[in-house]
Amino acid sequence: MKFAAGLLKRLGRTLAIVLLVVFGSTVLVRFAPGYLSDAREMDPRYAGAARVELAAEAGRSGSLGQMLATEIGGWTQGNLGISRQYEVPVLELILPRLAVTGSLMLRAIVMAWTLALCASLLSSASRNPSLLWQAPAALLLAVPTAAMATVCLLVDGGGPVLVMTLLLAARDFKFLDRTLRKAWRDEHLLQARAQGVTTLRLVRAHILPNIAPQLLALATLSIVTALSALVPVEVIFSVPGLGQLAWSAAMNRDLPVLLAITMIMAIAVTLAGMASDREDQWRAA
Amino acid sequence: MRFRAARSKVVASWLLAGLVLIAIAIVEAPSSSYSHQDRDLPLAGASRLHPAGTDALGRDRMVRVSAAFLLSLGGAIVASALTTAAAAAVGTLAAFSPAGVAGLAMLVCDVFLALPWLFLLMMVRSALPLTTSPAHSAEVTFLVLAALGWPACARAVYRGAQGLRGSEWMLQARAEGLRGRQIVRHLLPNLMPLLAPQFLVCIPAFVIAEANLGALGLGIGEPLPSWGGMLLELDNSAMLMRTAWVYLPIGLLVLILLLLEAIAVEV
Repeated sequence: MKFAAGLLKRLGRTLAIVLLVVFGSTVLVRFAPGYLSDAREMDPRYAGAARVELAAEAGRSGSLGQMLATEIGGWTQGNLGISRQYEVPVLELILPRLAVTGSLMLRAIVMAWTLALCASLLSSASRNPSLLWQAPAALLLAVPTAAMATVCLLVDGGGPVLVMTLLLAARDFKFLDRTLRKAWRDEHLLQARAQGVTTLRLVRAHILPNIAPQLLALATLSIVTALSALVPVEVIFSVPGLGQLAWSAAMNRDLPVLLAITMIMAIAVTLAGMASDREDQWRAA
Repeated sequence: MRFRAARSKVVASWLLAGLVLIAIAIVEAPSSSYSHQDRDLPLAGASRLHPAGTDALGRDRMVRVSAAFLLSLGGAIVASALTTAAAAAVGTLAAFSPAGVAGLAMLVCDVFLALPWLFLLMMVRSALPLTTSPAHSAEVTFLVLAALGWPACARAVYRGAQGLRGSEWMLQARAEGLRGRQIVRHLLPNLMPLLAPQFLVCIPAFVIAEANLGALGLGIGEPLPSWGGMLLELDNSAMLMRTAWVYLPIGLLVLILLLLEAIAVEV
């Protein structure tokens, strides 16, 4: 009962966050200084009167209430609104790209976790942090995603999955190494090691269950990091996913598309956050 | 271990200070201009006149890299200071407010945290006027970074301030009639161990964000030099064939980020 009430409260909070994201994003874009300017206003082929009319039209259709009503109307109709750039329902644009992005993210996250977990288990076994493991992680974190993607493209070695994997693995390794190093120093583990319990058994039966809450928090962090890396990776490698669509929508001021993608991101992150927050309750249930 | 980290921090700080001084000397040297085009020497290699060669428009690469470094570091430091100040204000106010106000403040933090930065940055940056000047686009880029970076830090400050609120010395001080500004005056020095690392961590994060945004064509406008703008040069394979100096910006950017990370590391 307590668990169900907690879950409901959490779902309500998630819903509130998603609604606030929509409202906040619309306000942010509507009141950005150039939202009402139209690229056609800069075209010298348009006469002065036409440009004034374009500006007036933008002003008329740009009231905050009207924008919100259009957005929410699109969502209730199930098509997420109409794209300003492509003039098709946003859902039609998003659905095929969702699969591409989902597959890219899933592969990158799984590979990054495997890589980071193996590296951190090996690294944390030594008493002091070794440069052999720390240096590549620090170097990977210091390279902007866009630069890493461009270099991979230049040397023709590796694709979007590799770039995202390396970025995520470096971040995950930093976190996991610290967590595992702390876990290894627990007194009961020192005792168990002294008694000759095998390392594999210690990891499986003691360390991994002990650091499970931190691992779930890291899973949320991985999703946020992967989402942030999506845009440069997809744009540079020309992957037809959500990141590329968001970039194209941003370049062309396509608010319905941008808002829909933003909302999907917010839902993904808050749901992932909910799963990691409620770990103790899931276990109790 | 702690000693080694503290020593790397000092060495990194000195190295970074040295690079800043060199960059200032290059930018401030007479006749150096980041926008001056040498039309006879586009894509030139290293020479006495242009020690790191020129870009496709004949602009001195050394001057442009130095100016981009100073602009990016200065902007990131200002944005980081703003974001830390905002986080301190929101976190402290929430901790000393009734539960409802604190809950609302944390909900707002959750809303910001639910969105990857780059999407919000793209959204705001793309809605700027088409006629925005380069200097204005630089200001806006770093202001937007500052406006979006505070929630994670505000949460940490909130937790810290909440702990201090319940501490014995604070209860004693409040019981004796300390109010508003006086509380803040005593609280801030105690929050410094939280705020200082947040400030340092935000600087490299903002430098990377600006570089990524610039590489997508949504950063600082030309002719102002920026890391992102210069990373775009790597897309031009013809340029890469002609001169290896094209790799100077990315090499220097990585070095600077490593130094900033070393300074921000927890001791």
